[in-house]
Amino acid sequence: MRSESVGWPRPFQGLTAFLWTEVLVQAHEELAMATSMVVQGVLLVFVWILDPTLIGVALLGAVLFSMFTMGQRVLNEAAYLRIDHKANELYLAGPLTAEGYFLGLSAGVMIVYLPPVVIVGILAGLVVHLTLVEVGLLIVLAFGVWVCAASIGYIFSTAFRENRAIWAYSSLFFNVFGVLPPVFYPLTKFPVALRPIVLLMPPSAAAAILQTAIGAVRPPAGEITLAAVGLVVEAVLLFALAVYWARRTARER
Amino acid sequence: MTDLALRSVGLRKTYRTKGSPPVEALAGVTLEVRSGERVALLGRNGAGKTTFLRIASTLLRPTAGAVEIFGVDVDQHPERVRPYIAVVPQEGKPFFHLTPREQVYTYLRARGLSRETGKARAEAALEAMGLTDFADRLAITLSGGQRQRTMVATVLATEAPFLFLDEPTIGMDPFARRSVWASLRALSRRGSTIMLTTHYLDEADELSERLYIIDRGVVRVSGTSEELKRSVGGTLKVHMPGGAAEIERFRSFGRCVPDGTGLTVIAAPERLGELMGVAVAAHLTATVGPVTLEEAFLNVVGRSIDEE
Repeated sequence: MRSESVGWPRPFQGLTAFLWTEVLVQAHEELAMATSMVVQGVLLVFVWILDPTLIGVALLGAVLFSMFTMGQRVLNEAAYLRIDHKANELYLAGPLTAEGYFLGLSAGVMIVYLPPVVIVGILAGLVVHLTLVEVGLLIVLAFGVWVCAASIGYIFSTAFRENRAIWAYSSLFFNVFGVLPPVFYPLTKFPVALRPIVLLMPPSAAAAILQTAIGAVRPPAGEITLAAVGLVVEAVLLFALAVYWARRTARER
Repeated sequence: MTDLALRSVGLRKTYRTKGSPPVEALAGVTLEVRSGERVALLGRNGAGKTTFLRIASTLLRPTAGAVEIFGVDVDQHPERVRPYIAVVPQEGKPFFHLTPREQVYTYLRARGLSRETGKARAEAALEAMGLTDFADRLAITLSGGQRQRTMVATVLATEAPFLFLDEPTIGMDPFARRSVWASLRALSRRGSTIMLTTHYLDEADELSERLYIIDRGVVRVSGTSEELKRSVGGTLKVHMPGGAAEIERFRSFGRCVPDGTGLTVIAAPERLGELMGVAVAAHLTATVGPVTLEEAFLNVVGRSIDEE
Protein backbone atom coordinates (compact mmCIF):
# COMPACT_ATOMS: atom_id res chain seq x y z
CA MET A 1 0.00 0.00 0.00
CA ARG A 2 1.57 3.28 -1.02
CA SER A 3 0.81 6.60 0.61
CA GLU A 4 1.94 10.17 0.32
CA SER A 5 1.67 10.69 4.06
CA VAL A 6 4.25 9.91 6.69
CA GLY A 7 3.45 6.62 8.36
CA TRP A 8 1.05 6.78 11.27
CA PRO A 9 -1.28 9.75 11.54
CA ARG A 10 -0.23 12.43 13.98
CA PRO A 11 -2.83 14.37 16.00
CA PHE A 12 -2.04 17.74 14.47
CA GLN A 13 -0.66 16.74 11.07
CA GLY A 14 -1.81 19.23 8.45
CA LEU A 15 -3.27 21.60 11.06
CA THR A 16 -1.09 24.55 10.03
CA ALA A 17 -1.98 24.12 6.38
CA PHE A 18 -5.69 23.85 7.12
CA LEU A 19 -5.42 26.87 9.43
CA TRP A 20 -3.82 28.81 6.60
CA THR A 21 -6.58 27.66 4.24
CA GLU A 22 -9.17 29.05 6.64
CA VAL A 23 -7.24 32.32 6.95
CA LEU A 24 -7.23 32.66 3.15
CA VAL A 25 -10.96 31.91 3.00
CA GLN A 26 -11.91 34.31 5.80
CA ALA A 27 -9.56 37.09 4.69
CA HIS A 28 -11.70 37.66 1.59
CA GLU A 29 -14.49 39.00 3.83
CA GLU A 30 -12.99 42.42 4.56
CA LEU A 31 -16.39 43.93 5.30
CA ALA A 32 -17.15 41.20 7.84
CA MET A 33 -13.86 41.98 9.58
CA ALA A 34 -14.79 45.66 9.79
CA THR A 35 -18.35 45.00 10.97
CA SER A 36 -17.15 42.53 13.58
CA MET A 37 -16.65 45.46 15.97
CA VAL A 38 -20.00 47.20 15.42
CA VAL A 39 -21.79 45.83 18.51
CA GLN A 40 -18.77 46.57 20.70
CA GLY A 41 -18.52 50.07 19.21
CA VAL A 42 -22.17 50.83 19.91
CA LEU A 43 -21.85 49.63 23.50
CA LEU A 44 -18.71 51.73 23.98
CA VAL A 45 -20.61 54.82 22.78
CA PHE A 46 -23.44 54.07 25.23
CA VAL A 47 -20.97 53.74 28.10
CA TRP A 48 -19.18 56.93 27.03
CA ILE A 49 -22.46 58.86 27.06
CA LEU A 50 -23.79 57.40 30.33
CA ASP A 51 -20.58 57.40 32.40
CA PRO A 52 -17.27 58.35 30.73
CA THR A 53 -15.32 57.17 33.80
CA LEU A 54 -16.21 53.57 32.87
CA ILE A 55 -14.77 53.71 29.36
CA GLY A 56 -11.57 51.90 30.42
CA VAL A 57 -13.55 49.00 31.87
CA ALA A 58 -15.76 48.98 28.77
CA LEU A 59 -12.75 48.89 26.42
CA LEU A 60 -11.28 45.91 28.24
CA GLY A 61 -14.74 44.32 28.13
CA ALA A 62 -14.87 44.95 24.39
CA VAL A 63 -11.68 42.91 23.94
CA LEU A 64 -13.10 39.99 25.93
CA PHE A 65 -16.51 40.26 24.24
CA SER A 66 -14.83 40.19 20.83
CA MET A 67 -12.95 37.03 21.73
CA PHE A 68 -16.20 35.49 22.95
CA THR A 69 -18.13 36.32 19.78
CA MET A 70 -15.46 34.50 17.77
CA GLY A 71 -17.25 31.39 18.98
CA GLN A 72 -20.26 32.51 16.97
CA ARG A 73 -18.06 32.81 13.88
CA VAL A 74 -16.65 29.33 14.49
CA LEU A 75 -20.19 28.00 14.82
CA ASN A 76 -21.32 29.68 11.59
CA GLU A 77 -18.24 28.69 9.62
CA ALA A 78 -18.10 25.07 10.79
CA ALA A 79 -21.80 24.51 10.13
CA TYR A 80 -21.69 26.28 6.75
CA LEU A 81 -18.67 24.32 5.54
CA ARG A 82 -20.25 21.05 6.65
CA ILE A 83 -23.75 21.68 5.31
CA ASP A 84 -23.04 23.64 2.12
CA HIS A 85 -19.58 22.51 1.03
CA LYS A 86 -19.11 19.05 2.63
CA ALA A 87 -15.63 20.32 3.48
CA ASN A 88 -15.59 18.18 6.60
CA GLU A 89 -15.97 15.05 4.44
CA LEU A 90 -13.23 16.18 2.08
CA TYR A 91 -10.79 16.82 4.92
CA LEU A 92 -11.76 14.22 7.51
CA ALA A 93 -11.60 11.31 5.06
CA GLY A 94 -7.87 11.96 4.93
CA PRO A 95 -4.86 12.35 7.20
CA LEU A 96 -6.07 15.59 8.87
CA THR A 97 -7.44 14.57 12.26
CA ALA A 98 -10.79 15.70 13.63
CA GLU A 99 -9.08 17.77 16.32
CA GLY A 100 -6.80 19.26 13.68
CA TYR A 101 -9.88 20.25 11.66
CA PHE A 102 -11.55 21.85 14.71
CA LEU A 103 -8.41 23.69 15.80
CA GLY A 104 -7.40 24.78 12.30
CA LEU A 105 -10.84 26.18 11.57
CA SER A 106 -11.14 27.93 14.95
CA ALA A 107 -7.63 29.38 14.90
CA GLY A 108 -8.00 30.49 11.28
CA VAL A 109 -11.15 32.43 12.15
CA MET A 110 -9.44 33.92 15.20
CA ILE A 111 -6.35 35.08 13.31
CA VAL A 112 -8.41 36.92 10.70
CA TYR A 113 -10.66 38.67 13.21
CA LEU A 114 -7.85 39.44 15.67
CA PRO A 115 -6.47 42.72 14.21
CA PRO A 116 -9.48 44.91 15.15
CA VAL A 117 -9.45 43.32 18.62
CA VAL A 118 -5.75 44.16 19.00
CA ILE A 119 -6.49 47.78 18.07
CA VAL A 120 -9.18 47.98 20.78
CA GLY A 121 -6.76 46.28 23.17
CA ILE A 122 -4.06 48.89 22.46
CA LEU A 123 -6.66 51.63 22.96
CA ALA A 124 -7.66 50.04 26.27
CA GLY A 125 -4.01 49.84 27.30
CA LEU A 126 -3.55 53.56 26.61
CA VAL A 127 -6.74 54.62 28.40
CA VAL A 128 -6.31 52.37 31.44
CA HIS A 129 -2.47 52.62 31.53
CA LEU A 130 -2.02 48.86 31.79
CA THR A 131 1.23 47.54 33.24
CA LEU A 132 3.06 44.76 31.43
CA VAL A 133 1.68 42.24 33.92
CA GLU A 134 -1.85 43.49 33.28
CA VAL A 135 -1.28 43.27 29.51
CA GLY A 136 -0.12 39.68 30.01
CA LEU A 137 -3.18 38.97 32.12
CA LEU A 138 -5.43 40.48 29.43
CA ILE A 139 -3.86 38.24 26.78
CA VAL A 140 -4.18 35.11 28.93
CA LEU A 141 -7.79 35.88 29.82
CA ALA A 142 -8.68 36.71 26.22
CA PHE A 143 -7.15 33.40 25.14
CA GLY A 144 -9.12 31.55 27.82
CA VAL A 145 -12.36 33.17 26.68
CA TRP A 146 -11.55 32.27 23.06
CA VAL A 147 -10.89 28.62 23.95
CA CYS A 148 -14.27 28.41 25.68
CA ALA A 149 -16.11 30.22 22.87
CA ALA A 150 -14.48 28.30 20.01
CA SER A 151 -15.19 25.00 21.77
CA ILE A 152 -18.84 25.91 22.41
CA GLY A 153 -19.18 27.17 18.83
CA TYR A 154 -17.77 24.01 17.26
CA ILE A 155 -19.83 21.69 19.44
CA PHE A 156 -23.07 23.55 18.69
CA SER A 157 -22.25 23.73 14.96
CA THR A 158 -22.71 19.97 14.70
CA ALA A 159 -26.33 20.22 15.84
CA PHE A 160 -27.56 22.17 12.82
CA ARG A 161 -28.85 20.56 9.64
CA GLU A 162 -29.57 23.73 7.68
CA ASN A 163 -28.06 27.18 7.56
CA ARG A 164 -31.25 29.17 8.11
CA ALA A 165 -31.54 27.75 11.63
CA ILE A 166 -28.00 28.90 12.41
CA TRP A 167 -28.70 32.49 11.42
CA ALA A 168 -31.67 32.55 13.78
CA TYR A 169 -29.96 31.15 16.87
CA SER A 170 -26.20 31.56 16.80
CA SER A 171 -26.00 35.28 17.55
CA LEU A 172 -28.50 34.95 20.39
CA PHE A 173 -26.30 32.85 22.64
CA PHE A 174 -23.09 34.78 22.16
CA ASN A 175 -24.64 38.25 22.38
CA VAL A 176 -26.76 37.49 25.43
CA PHE A 177 -23.90 35.92 27.38
CA GLY A 178 -21.52 38.67 26.31
CA VAL A 179 -23.69 41.77 26.75
CA LEU A 180 -26.03 41.18 29.70
CA PRO A 181 -23.44 40.08 32.30
CA PRO A 182 -20.90 42.63 33.65
CA VAL A 183 -18.45 42.62 30.76
CA PHE A 184 -18.82 46.23 29.58
CA TYR A 185 -19.64 47.51 33.07
CA PRO A 186 -18.19 46.83 36.56
CA LEU A 187 -19.03 43.63 38.40
CA THR A 188 -20.09 45.65 41.45
CA LYS A 189 -23.09 47.08 39.57
CA PHE A 190 -24.48 43.54 39.20
CA PRO A 191 -26.81 42.15 41.95
CA VAL A 192 -24.75 40.32 44.58
CA ALA A 193 -27.15 37.37 44.74
CA LEU A 194 -26.73 36.66 41.02
CA ARG A 195 -22.97 37.15 40.82
CA PRO A 196 -22.03 33.45 41.15
CA ILE A 197 -23.92 32.86 37.90
CA VAL A 198 -22.11 35.53 35.90
CA LEU A 199 -18.78 34.59 37.47
CA LEU A 200 -19.19 31.17 35.89
CA MET A 201 -19.69 32.66 32.43
CA PRO A 202 -16.35 32.92 30.61
CA PRO A 203 -16.54 36.56 29.39
CA SER A 204 -17.85 38.02 32.65
CA ALA A 205 -15.47 35.86 34.73
CA ALA A 206 -12.52 37.17 32.71
CA ALA A 207 -13.86 40.74 32.95
CA ALA A 208 -14.23 40.46 36.75
CA ILE A 209 -10.60 39.31 37.07
CA LEU A 210 -9.36 42.15 34.86
CA GLN A 211 -11.48 44.77 36.58
CA THR A 212 -10.08 43.62 39.93
CA ALA A 213 -6.50 43.60 38.61
CA ILE A 214 -6.71 47.23 37.44
CA GLY A 215 -8.43 48.30 40.67
CA ALA A 216 -11.76 49.22 39.07
CA VAL A 217 -13.65 46.95 41.51
CA ARG A 218 -12.86 45.33 44.84
CA PRO A 219 -15.06 42.23 45.10
CA PRO A 220 -14.66 39.65 47.88
CA ALA A 221 -11.71 37.31 47.31
CA GLY A 222 -14.10 34.37 47.05
CA GLU A 223 -15.75 35.87 43.97
CA ILE A 224 -12.45 36.32 42.13
CA THR A 225 -11.34 32.83 43.10
CA LEU A 226 -14.60 31.49 41.75
CA ALA A 227 -14.12 33.45 38.50
CA ALA A 228 -10.50 32.30 38.05
CA VAL A 229 -11.02 28.65 38.93
CA GLY A 230 -14.25 28.58 36.93
CA LEU A 231 -12.61 30.02 33.84
CA VAL A 232 -9.66 27.61 33.95
CA VAL A 233 -11.86 24.58 34.57
CA GLU A 234 -14.35 25.62 31.88
CA ALA A 235 -11.61 26.26 29.32
CA VAL A 236 -9.99 22.89 29.96
CA LEU A 237 -13.26 20.95 30.07
CA LEU A 238 -14.83 22.68 27.07
CA PHE A 239 -11.67 22.19 24.99
CA ALA A 240 -11.49 18.52 25.95
CA LEU A 241 -15.20 18.15 25.17
CA ALA A 242 -14.76 19.87 21.80
CA VAL A 243 -11.88 17.54 20.86
CA TYR A 244 -13.93 14.53 21.96
CA TRP A 245 -16.97 15.85 20.06
CA ALA A 246 -14.92 16.60 16.94
CA ARG A 247 -13.65 13.01 16.95
CA ARG A 248 -17.11 11.59 17.62
CA THR A 249 -18.85 13.61 14.91
CA ALA A 250 -16.12 12.96 12.33
CA ARG A 251 -18.22 9.87 11.65
CA GLU A 252 -21.99 10.12 11.49
CA ARG A 253 -24.01 7.55 13.36
CA MET B 1 -0.37 -7.22 2.99
CA THR B 2 -3.46 -8.18 1.08
CA ASP B 3 -4.23 -7.96 -2.64
CA LEU B 4 -7.74 -6.86 -1.69
CA ALA B 5 -8.14 -3.12 -1.48
CA LEU B 6 -11.67 -3.33 -0.08
CA ARG B 7 -13.69 -6.11 1.45
CA SER B 8 -17.23 -5.60 2.67
CA VAL B 9 -19.06 -8.36 4.49
CA GLY B 10 -22.76 -8.18 5.36
CA LEU B 11 -22.72 -4.43 5.62
CA ARG B 12 -25.93 -2.98 7.01
CA LYS B 13 -27.01 0.55 7.75
CA THR B 14 -30.33 1.64 9.20
CA TYR B 15 -31.00 5.35 9.61
CA ARG B 16 -33.10 6.16 12.64
CA THR B 17 -34.55 9.67 12.85
CA LYS B 18 -36.85 10.75 15.66
CA GLY B 19 -40.40 11.04 14.39
CA SER B 20 -39.75 9.05 11.20
CA PRO B 21 -39.80 5.30 10.57
CA PRO B 22 -36.34 3.70 10.31
CA VAL B 23 -34.85 3.52 6.83
CA GLU B 24 -32.76 0.49 5.91
CA ALA B 25 -30.24 1.93 3.44
CA LEU B 26 -27.99 -1.13 3.32
CA ALA B 27 -29.36 -4.60 3.95
CA GLY B 28 -26.18 -6.71 3.85
CA VAL B 29 -23.72 -5.63 1.19
CA THR B 30 -20.92 -8.06 0.49
CA LEU B 31 -18.37 -7.15 -2.16
CA GLU B 32 -14.66 -7.07 -2.87
CA VAL B 33 -12.38 -4.73 -4.79
CA ARG B 34 -8.88 -5.73 -5.79
CA SER B 35 -5.92 -3.37 -5.54
CA GLY B 36 -5.63 -1.08 -8.54
CA GLU B 37 -9.14 -1.95 -9.76
CA ARG B 38 -11.70 0.60 -11.01
CA VAL B 39 -15.16 -0.24 -9.73
CA ALA B 40 -18.50 1.49 -10.20
CA LEU B 41 -21.53 1.25 -7.95
CA LEU B 42 -24.75 1.67 -9.88
CA GLY B 43 -28.28 1.95 -8.63
CA ARG B 44 -31.41 4.02 -8.51
CA ASN B 45 -31.65 7.11 -6.31
CA GLY B 46 -31.69 5.96 -2.70
CA ALA B 47 -30.36 2.50 -3.56
CA GLY B 48 -27.59 2.76 -0.95
CA LYS B 49 -24.56 3.71 -3.08
CA THR B 50 -23.62 6.85 -1.17
CA THR B 51 -24.26 5.20 2.17
CA PHE B 52 -21.85 2.42 1.21
CA LEU B 53 -19.24 4.92 0.02
CA ARG B 54 -19.53 6.99 3.19
CA ILE B 55 -19.11 3.96 5.45
CA ALA B 56 -16.15 2.67 3.45
CA SER B 57 -14.52 6.10 3.57
CA THR B 58 -14.84 6.30 7.39
CA LEU B 59 -17.49 9.06 7.36
CA LEU B 60 -20.43 6.98 8.57
CA ARG B 61 -20.71 4.16 11.05
CA PRO B 62 -22.42 0.95 9.97
CA THR B 63 -25.24 -0.69 11.90
CA ALA B 64 -23.75 -4.15 11.31
CA GLY B 65 -21.19 -5.91 9.16
CA ALA B 66 -17.69 -4.73 8.33
CA VAL B 67 -15.62 -3.03 5.67
CA GLU B 68 -11.87 -3.42 5.42
CA ILE B 69 -9.60 -1.14 3.40
CA PHE B 70 -6.24 -2.76 2.71
CA GLY B 71 -7.05 -5.25 5.46
CA VAL B 72 -7.87 -2.63 8.12
CA ASP B 73 -11.40 -2.44 9.56
CA VAL B 74 -12.65 1.08 8.83
CA ASP B 75 -15.02 1.14 11.79
CA GLN B 76 -12.51 -0.14 14.32
CA HIS B 77 -9.48 1.82 13.08
CA PRO B 78 -10.59 4.79 10.94
CA GLU B 79 -7.44 6.72 11.84
CA ARG B 80 -5.30 3.99 10.25
CA VAL B 81 -7.33 4.00 7.05
CA ARG B 82 -7.66 7.75 6.47
CA PRO B 83 -4.08 8.49 5.33
CA TYR B 84 -4.63 6.08 2.45
CA ILE B 85 -7.94 7.36 1.11
CA ALA B 86 -9.38 10.49 -0.48
CA VAL B 87 -13.02 11.31 -1.20
CA VAL B 88 -14.97 13.46 -3.63
CA PRO B 89 -18.14 13.94 -1.57
CA GLN B 90 -21.52 14.02 -3.27
CA GLU B 91 -22.48 17.67 -3.85
CA GLY B 92 -19.20 18.85 -2.33
CA LYS B 93 -18.04 22.33 -3.29
CA PRO B 94 -14.64 24.02 -3.22
CA PHE B 95 -14.10 26.99 -0.93
CA PHE B 96 -15.77 29.87 -2.78
CA HIS B 97 -13.09 32.37 -1.77
CA LEU B 98 -10.14 30.30 -2.89
CA THR B 99 -8.92 29.93 -6.44
CA PRO B 100 -8.68 26.38 -7.84
CA ARG B 101 -4.89 26.64 -7.55
CA GLU B 102 -5.15 27.60 -3.85
CA GLN B 103 -7.81 24.97 -3.22
CA VAL B 104 -5.79 22.06 -4.61
CA TYR B 105 -2.48 23.20 -3.15
CA THR B 106 -3.73 23.95 0.38
CA TYR B 107 -5.61 20.65 0.47
CA LEU B 108 -2.47 18.73 -0.45
CA ARG B 109 -0.53 20.61 2.22
CA ALA B 110 -3.23 19.79 4.78
CA ARG B 111 -2.69 16.12 3.85
CA GLY B 112 0.96 16.49 4.79
CA LEU B 113 2.57 16.85 1.36
CA SER B 114 5.66 19.02 0.98
CA ARG B 115 5.48 22.44 -0.72
CA GLU B 116 7.31 21.18 -3.81
CA THR B 117 5.21 18.05 -4.23
CA GLY B 118 2.04 20.01 -3.49
CA LYS B 119 2.80 22.63 -6.12
CA ALA B 120 3.81 20.09 -8.76
CA ARG B 121 0.77 17.88 -8.19
CA ALA B 122 -1.60 20.86 -8.05
CA GLU B 123 -0.36 22.16 -11.41
CA ALA B 124 -0.60 18.71 -12.99
CA ALA B 125 -4.12 18.14 -11.67
CA LEU B 126 -5.32 21.58 -12.78
CA GLU B 127 -3.96 20.95 -16.24
CA ALA B 128 -5.47 17.46 -16.43
CA MET B 129 -8.88 18.86 -15.48
CA GLY B 130 -8.61 21.71 -17.99
CA LEU B 131 -8.60 24.32 -15.25
CA THR B 132 -5.36 26.10 -16.09
CA ASP B 133 -7.16 29.09 -17.62
CA PHE B 134 -9.35 29.47 -14.53
CA ALA B 135 -6.76 28.49 -11.93
CA ASP B 136 -6.43 31.98 -10.48
CA ARG B 137 -10.11 32.92 -10.45
CA LEU B 138 -12.07 32.67 -7.21
CA ALA B 139 -14.27 29.57 -7.19
CA ILE B 140 -17.32 31.74 -6.56
CA THR B 141 -16.94 33.14 -10.09
CA LEU B 142 -16.69 29.70 -11.72
CA SER B 143 -19.54 27.72 -13.30
CA GLY B 144 -20.97 24.67 -11.56
CA GLY B 145 -19.05 22.33 -13.84
CA GLN B 146 -15.78 24.17 -13.26
CA ARG B 147 -16.30 23.99 -9.49
CA GLN B 148 -16.92 20.25 -9.76
CA ARG B 149 -13.74 19.90 -11.81
CA THR B 150 -11.92 21.76 -9.03
CA MET B 151 -13.25 19.26 -6.48
CA VAL B 152 -12.16 16.31 -8.61
CA ALA B 153 -8.74 17.90 -9.27
CA THR B 154 -8.32 18.42 -5.51
CA VAL B 155 -8.87 14.77 -4.76
CA LEU B 156 -7.11 13.25 -7.78
CA ALA B 157 -4.01 15.33 -6.99
CA THR B 158 -3.63 13.40 -3.73
CA GLU B 159 -2.82 10.24 -5.71
CA ALA B 160 -4.12 8.42 -2.65
CA PRO B 161 -4.00 4.62 -2.80
CA PHE B 162 -7.81 4.42 -2.59
CA LEU B 163 -10.05 7.05 -4.18
CA PHE B 164 -13.77 7.28 -3.53
CA LEU B 165 -15.74 9.45 -5.95
CA ASP B 166 -19.44 10.03 -5.40
CA GLU B 167 -20.94 11.17 -8.71
CA PRO B 168 -17.68 12.88 -9.69
CA THR B 169 -18.70 14.13 -13.12
CA ILE B 170 -22.12 15.50 -12.29
CA GLY B 171 -22.70 18.80 -14.08
CA MET B 172 -19.62 18.41 -16.29
CA ASP B 173 -19.61 18.78 -20.06
CA PRO B 174 -18.60 15.75 -22.19
CA PHE B 175 -15.03 17.04 -22.64
CA ALA B 176 -14.51 17.49 -18.91
CA ARG B 177 -15.98 14.05 -18.22
CA ARG B 178 -13.47 12.50 -20.59
CA SER B 179 -10.66 14.39 -18.85
CA VAL B 180 -11.77 12.86 -15.55
CA TRP B 181 -11.91 9.40 -17.10
CA ALA B 182 -8.40 9.79 -18.51
CA SER B 183 -7.03 10.96 -15.16
CA LEU B 184 -8.70 8.10 -13.31
CA ARG B 185 -7.30 5.57 -15.77
CA ALA B 186 -3.83 7.08 -15.34
CA LEU B 187 -4.08 6.90 -11.54
CA SER B 188 -5.34 3.34 -11.76
CA ARG B 189 -2.34 2.40 -13.92
CA ARG B 190 -0.10 3.84 -11.21
CA GLY B 191 -1.75 1.58 -8.62
CA SER B 192 -4.60 3.59 -7.12
CA THR B 193 -7.85 1.75 -6.47
CA ILE B 194 -10.93 3.65 -7.55
CA MET B 195 -14.54 3.28 -6.46
CA LEU B 196 -17.14 5.61 -7.92
CA THR B 197 -20.86 6.01 -8.05
CA THR B 198 -22.53 7.41 -11.13
CA HIS B 199 -25.87 7.66 -12.87
CA TYR B 200 -24.12 7.98 -16.23
CA LEU B 201 -24.10 4.43 -17.51
CA ASP B 202 -21.80 5.29 -20.41
CA GLU B 203 -19.31 6.52 -17.81
CA ALA B 204 -19.55 3.29 -15.83
CA ASP B 205 -19.21 1.30 -19.06
CA GLU B 206 -16.21 3.30 -20.24
CA LEU B 207 -14.36 3.50 -16.97
CA SER B 208 -15.07 0.51 -14.78
CA GLU B 209 -13.40 -2.84 -14.82
CA ARG B 210 -16.17 -4.18 -12.62
CA LEU B 211 -19.66 -3.01 -11.76
CA TYR B 212 -21.94 -3.61 -8.82
CA ILE B 213 -25.62 -2.87 -9.23
CA ILE B 214 -27.15 -2.11 -5.86
CA ASP B 215 -30.85 -1.94 -5.26
CA ARG B 216 -32.77 -1.58 -2.02
CA GLY B 217 -29.56 -1.94 -0.03
CA VAL B 218 -28.18 -5.16 -1.51
CA VAL B 219 -25.93 -6.06 -4.42
CA ARG B 220 -28.24 -7.42 -7.12
CA VAL B 221 -25.56 -8.31 -9.64
CA SER B 222 -21.87 -7.78 -10.28
CA GLY B 223 -19.49 -8.37 -13.13
CA THR B 224 -17.75 -6.68 -16.01
CA SER B 225 -19.71 -4.45 -18.31
CA GLU B 226 -19.68 -7.14 -21.00
CA GLU B 227 -20.90 -9.80 -18.58
CA LEU B 228 -23.77 -7.63 -17.51
CA LYS B 229 -24.70 -6.86 -21.11
CA ARG B 230 -24.63 -10.56 -21.99
CA SER B 231 -26.95 -11.29 -19.06
CA VAL B 232 -29.70 -9.39 -20.85
CA GLY B 233 -30.11 -12.33 -23.24
CA GLY B 234 -28.70 -10.98 -26.50
CA THR B 235 -26.24 -8.50 -27.88
CA LEU B 236 -28.57 -6.55 -30.17
CA LYS B 237 -31.57 -4.44 -29.40
CA VAL B 238 -34.19 -3.90 -32.06
CA HIS B 239 -36.57 -1.03 -31.47
CA MET B 240 -39.85 -0.85 -33.35
CA PRO B 241 -42.14 2.19 -32.94
CA GLY B 242 -45.75 0.98 -32.73
CA GLY B 243 -44.53 -2.58 -32.18
CA ALA B 244 -46.13 -3.10 -28.77
CA ALA B 245 -49.38 -4.26 -30.38
CA GLU B 246 -47.46 -7.01 -32.22
CA ILE B 247 -45.51 -8.21 -29.19
CA GLU B 248 -46.68 -11.84 -29.49
CA ARG B 249 -45.01 -12.15 -32.93
CA PHE B 250 -41.61 -11.35 -31.38
CA ARG B 251 -41.59 -13.29 -28.11
CA SER B 252 -39.67 -16.19 -29.62
CA PHE B 253 -36.74 -13.90 -30.59
CA GLY B 254 -35.84 -12.89 -27.08
CA ARG B 255 -36.82 -10.56 -24.27
CA CYS B 256 -39.51 -8.10 -25.33
CA VAL B 257 -39.73 -4.76 -23.55
CA PRO B 258 -42.80 -2.66 -24.41
CA ASP B 259 -42.26 1.07 -24.16
CA GLY B 260 -45.59 2.83 -24.58
CA THR B 261 -46.68 1.91 -28.12
CA GLY B 262 -43.13 0.98 -29.04
CA LEU B 263 -41.35 -2.34 -28.52
CA THR B 264 -37.72 -3.23 -27.94
CA VAL B 265 -36.57 -6.80 -28.55
CA ILE B 266 -33.25 -8.06 -27.21
CA ALA B 267 -32.04 -10.59 -29.74
CA ALA B 268 -29.06 -12.66 -30.81
CA PRO B 269 -27.32 -11.48 -34.05
CA GLU B 270 -27.91 -14.81 -35.82
CA ARG B 271 -31.69 -14.32 -35.63
CA LEU B 272 -31.66 -10.70 -36.76
CA GLY B 273 -32.58 -11.47 -40.40
CA GLU B 274 -35.54 -13.60 -39.39
CA LEU B 275 -36.70 -10.93 -36.91
CA MET B 276 -36.49 -8.20 -39.53
CA GLY B 277 -38.59 -10.33 -41.84
CA VAL B 278 -41.34 -10.55 -39.23
CA ALA B 279 -41.11 -6.78 -38.66
CA VAL B 280 -41.50 -6.08 -42.40
CA ALA B 281 -44.44 -8.47 -42.57
CA ALA B 282 -46.07 -6.56 -39.71
CA HIS B 283 -45.41 -3.24 -41.51
CA LEU B 284 -43.10 -2.05 -38.73
CA THR B 285 -39.95 0.05 -39.07
CA ALA B 286 -37.02 -1.06 -36.92
CA THR B 287 -33.72 0.40 -35.69
CA VAL B 288 -30.97 -1.95 -34.63
CA GLY B 289 -28.18 -1.19 -32.16
CA PRO B 290 -25.92 -2.95 -29.69
CA VAL B 291 -27.20 -3.74 -26.22
CA THR B 292 -25.85 -1.14 -23.79
CA LEU B 293 -25.30 -1.14 -20.07
CA GLU B 294 -28.57 0.73 -19.76
CA GLU B 295 -30.52 -2.36 -20.89
CA ALA B 296 -28.58 -4.47 -18.41
CA PHE B 297 -29.25 -1.97 -15.64
CA LEU B 298 -32.95 -1.71 -16.45
CA ASN B 299 -33.15 -5.48 -16.66
CA VAL B 300 -31.59 -6.01 -13.23
CA VAL B 301 -33.33 -3.16 -11.45
CA GLY B 302 -36.60 -3.93 -13.24
CA ARG B 303 -36.51 -7.48 -11.89
CA SER B 304 -35.80 -6.03 -8.46
CA ILE B 305 -38.81 -3.72 -8.74
CA ASP B 306 -40.98 -6.65 -9.87
CA GLU B 307 -40.00 -8.49 -6.70
CA GLU B 308 -41.28 -5.61 -4.54
